[in-house]
Amino acid sequence: MIALYHPGTSVLHRMPAGAKVLVFAALALAITVTTGTVWSLPLAGVITVALYMCSGLGILTLLRQLYTSRWIVLVMLVSQVIFLPLMDAITNTSRVLVVIVLAALITLTTRIPALLDATDHALAPLRRLRVNTAAIGLLLALTMTAIPVISGFASQIREAQRARGVPVRPQRFVVPLLVMSLKHSDELADALTARGIE
Amino acid sequence: MSGQQEIRFEDVCVEFAGRAALREVSITLNEKRIGVIGSNGSGKSTFARLFNGLVSPTRGRVMIHGLDPLRDGRRLRQRVGFIFSNPDAQIVMPTVTEDLAFSLRGRGLTRAEVDGRVTSTIAAVDLGAHAEASTHGLSSGQKQLLALGAILIGEPDLVVADEPTAMLDASNSRKIGNRLLDEIPQQLVLVTHDLRLAARCDVVLRFKEGMLLEHGDPRSVIARYERDHP
Repeated sequence: MIALYHPGTSVLHRMPAGAKVLVFAALALAITVTTGTVWSLPLAGVITVALYMCSGLGILTLLRQLYTSRWIVLVMLVSQVIFLPLMDAITNTSRVLVVIVLAALITLTTRIPALLDATDHALAPLRRLRVNTAAIGLLLALTMTAIPVISGFASQIREAQRARGVPVRPQRFVVPLLVMSLKHSDELADALTARGIE
Repeated sequence: MSGQQEIRFEDVCVEFAGRAALREVSITLNEKRIGVIGSNGSGKSTFARLFNGLVSPTRGRVMIHGLDPLRDGRRLRQRVGFIFSNPDAQIVMPTVTEDLAFSLRGRGLTRAEVDGRVTSTIAAVDLGAHAEASTHGLSSGQKQLLALGAILIGEPDLVVADEPTAMLDASNSRKIGNRLLDEIPQQLVLVTHDLRLAARCDVVLRFKEGMLLEHGDPRSVIARYERDHP
C-alpha cells in the first residue's frame, strides 16, 4: 500500500515535502467533501492521472498502485453494497481509491529523510507539551522502510514451503511471517539503540 | 593507551529469566584489538552487549572508557559503535547515503557537515559506486560495509563487532575482517568464530558456559580452544 521512492527530477520531486503533503491533503479533503457534486470524481480522476504523468512516473505506475489497492477496494465495495445502492458504493469506493493513489504519489516522489524533516518541523509545537516528535518521524520512516523487508520475508517463506513441498495455506504463511517480523523488530530496536537513536 | 581507553568488568553476572548467561566476569583491558571466542551459547554476545548497555548486568560493574553503561547509556552509545551479525537489521533508510546520514540525526550538525561526513564515510567503506543505490539491493558484504559505515560516521571511540562475518562468504569476510582489524583507528572488540581473525588481535578472551575461561596471547588461547574442540 505504501509506495517507495522513485528517483526523479519532476516538479513534484523537487517540491518541498511539507508543501506537497499540504497540497495533497487539501486535494483529498476536496474529493471527500464534494460528494454531492457529479463532476468532482471524474475531475479528481483526471487530476490524479495528470499528476502521475507530471511526476514522470507514468500511467503504468498509477495502474500498479491501483492493482496494489485491489483488496481494499474489494472489502470496501462488498461491505457497502450490502447497505447502499450499487452506484453509491462504487462512487464512495472510487473516492477512497483516488485518495490512496494520491497518497502513494507523495511517497513515490519524496525521499524519506525529507518526510522525516517535514514531520519533525510540522510537529515542532508539540515539543512544548513534551511530545517526542523525533520518535513520531522515526516511526513513519520505519513503517515505510519495513515494506521491502517484510516483503523479503514473505518470499523466503514461500520459497521454503515450496522447497519442502508444503501447500501454501494462509495459517502456514501468516504465523512464520509474524514470527520473522517480530524477530526483525527486536533486532532493529537493538540496532537503533546501538546507533544512539532512542 | 590512555586510561580513557580502559575497559573494566568487575565481577559481572548476567541472568536471563533465572538462567545465568554470564558468570563472575572480572577483567581489565587496554589493548587496541580484542578478540572474543567461544562456542555458541558461551556468553560472548552477552559480554559484547554489556559494552553499550544493550544488556544490563544483574550483578557487578562495567566501566567502558570511564563511563558506566547503566548511568551514562545515552552518552556511551554515541561513543561505542556496535555491529551485529545480521546487516539487514541495522539498515533503516532506503539508500546508502540516506542510511549513513540517518546516524547523524539529532547531533546538531549542519547540512554541509552531514554531507561532508557522508561523502568521506562512503569512500572509507568503499561504497562510492552504490551511494544512491537501494540498501535492500546490496549484497550481504556491501550491507555489512554499510553497517560499518553507519557506525564509523558517528566517530566512536570503540567499535564492538558481534560476529560481523557470520553471514558473509569467504571473500567478504576477509574484506570486513581486514577493514576492522587493519584500517579503523578505533579500539575494537571482535566477537568471532573465525579463529584466523581472532589470531590477528592483540589479546583473545575465551568464554565457556558463561564464564571467562582464559585470556591472553591469541596463539596460546586459540591453540587450547582448538585442542578442546577438535
